[in-house]
Amino acid sequence: MSGRGGKGFYSTPDGNYHSTRTGTPNGRQSPVDIIPISDSESESEDYFEETSTHSKSNGKAHSKPNGKASSDSLKTGGKTSSFSEGLMGSGKGGKGSASFSVGKGGKGSASNAKPAKSDPELKLELDMPPNSRILMDCEAAEMLQQIHEHMAILSEDPKIKIPESFDKAFQYAKEGNHFTTAKSVKQILEPLKKYGVTDGEICMIANIGPETIEEVYALVPSLKATKELNESLVTEALDALANIKASNLIEDE
Amino acid sequence: MFFHIVLERNMQLHPRHFGPHLRDKLVAKLMKDVEGTCSGRHGFVVAITGVEDVGKGLIREGTGFVTFPVKYQCVVFRPFKGEILEAVVTMVNKMGFFAEAGPVQIFVSNHLIPDDMEFQSGDVPNYTTSDGSVKIQKESEVRLKIIGTRVDATEIFCIGTIKDDYLGIISDPGAAS
Repeated sequence: MSGRGGKGFYSTPDGNYHSTRTGTPNGRQSPVDIIPISDSESESEDYFEETSTHSKSNGKAHSKPNGKASSDSLKTGGKTSSFSEGLMGSGKGGKGSASFSVGKGGKGSASNAKPAKSDPELKLELDMPPNSRILMDCEAAEMLQQIHEHMAILSEDPKIKIPESFDKAFQYAKEGNHFTTAKSVKQILEPLKKYGVTDGEICMIANIGPETIEEVYALVPSLKATKELNESLVTEALDALANIKASNLIEDE
Repeated sequence: MFFHIVLERNMQLHPRHFGPHLRDKLVAKLMKDVEGTCSGRHGFVVAITGVEDVGKGLIREGTGFVTFPVKYQCVVFRPFKGEILEAVVTMVNKMGFFAEAGPVQIFVSNHLIPDDMEFQSGDVPNYTTSDGSVKIQKESEVRLKIIGTRVDATEIFCIGTIKDDYLGIISDPGAAS
């Protein structure tokens, strides 16, 4: 029971936890604010998430089979709805469900003190439409290179203007690209998907080009949750990526 | 982060464009209307890679324009909260610095710059550590984390931080390589 007080909650003699933010001068709590919490650690974490998601969006409750829920709740809730959609977007089927805890090592295994970040904050809040495919910078660079070659022909026509954002994005993709061939990077990182690493996390690793496993865990904190599963695999992948990087540098010389 | 997505749009075409090259004209109009734009939902549309399907045209009453539903594939660039990006510094002032990653502008407030870095005004305003070993100025490359995005109808603006581990300067334009 101790140490659970945390964010403005205090226990009353009758064992209930009450919010301090009620604003009633005589200390009597309005019924809306009285939210009993049980003694279980994992349940209290559910509680924190539940109160915040409840007010933010109903995207989960109204999810439609064609997967349009995320776009609908964005229209209604704006930025705030991305909180629950981060969970949806991760494809784990929603918070608190069995599949979620199995996939990510379980919220119940969090430390006894309140965690510094909740699970949705650790994940990238990717809420793109369901038919979208994430591209690594190296893949995007290759695609844009082909388009650039077409555009060079088209740009001879004075009526056609190449948009500024294309140039900027192309430059960014080329310069941020640590590896020359997207195919080899994909071959190295694809096997990680079988071990619960999401597409977004794989792209982050490819785009950052980390050198050590500590760097990966610091910059992609969601991988830390499944550290036991993926540590050796990620280390191997990093070594393989380092080989590609090194061989590319030698070729350039 | 880059995405390859399928989008749909209703394109209106004036009857003067009808003829054997109708489809080409439709695609050209689509590229002109869409490439280079930004939507809050999908991010910056960098380039159209292909047209999947052009539906049947419907004549609009009163105007004679015809509306075609067009499904097309495109590469978009959209920043996300929690993403790590490498950006180039474009402006430095005492409130923080602005950086650019592709078409996206990111602002890093001085509160999100490590405490041991101080703003130095002058001809080339910069943030420098107390021992002078690290300097962030215009054209420096920095690795930063996006901590918030603001979405307008036509623009995405981000707030970033370099205060965490493994973030900060990658290369300094003034340093010898």
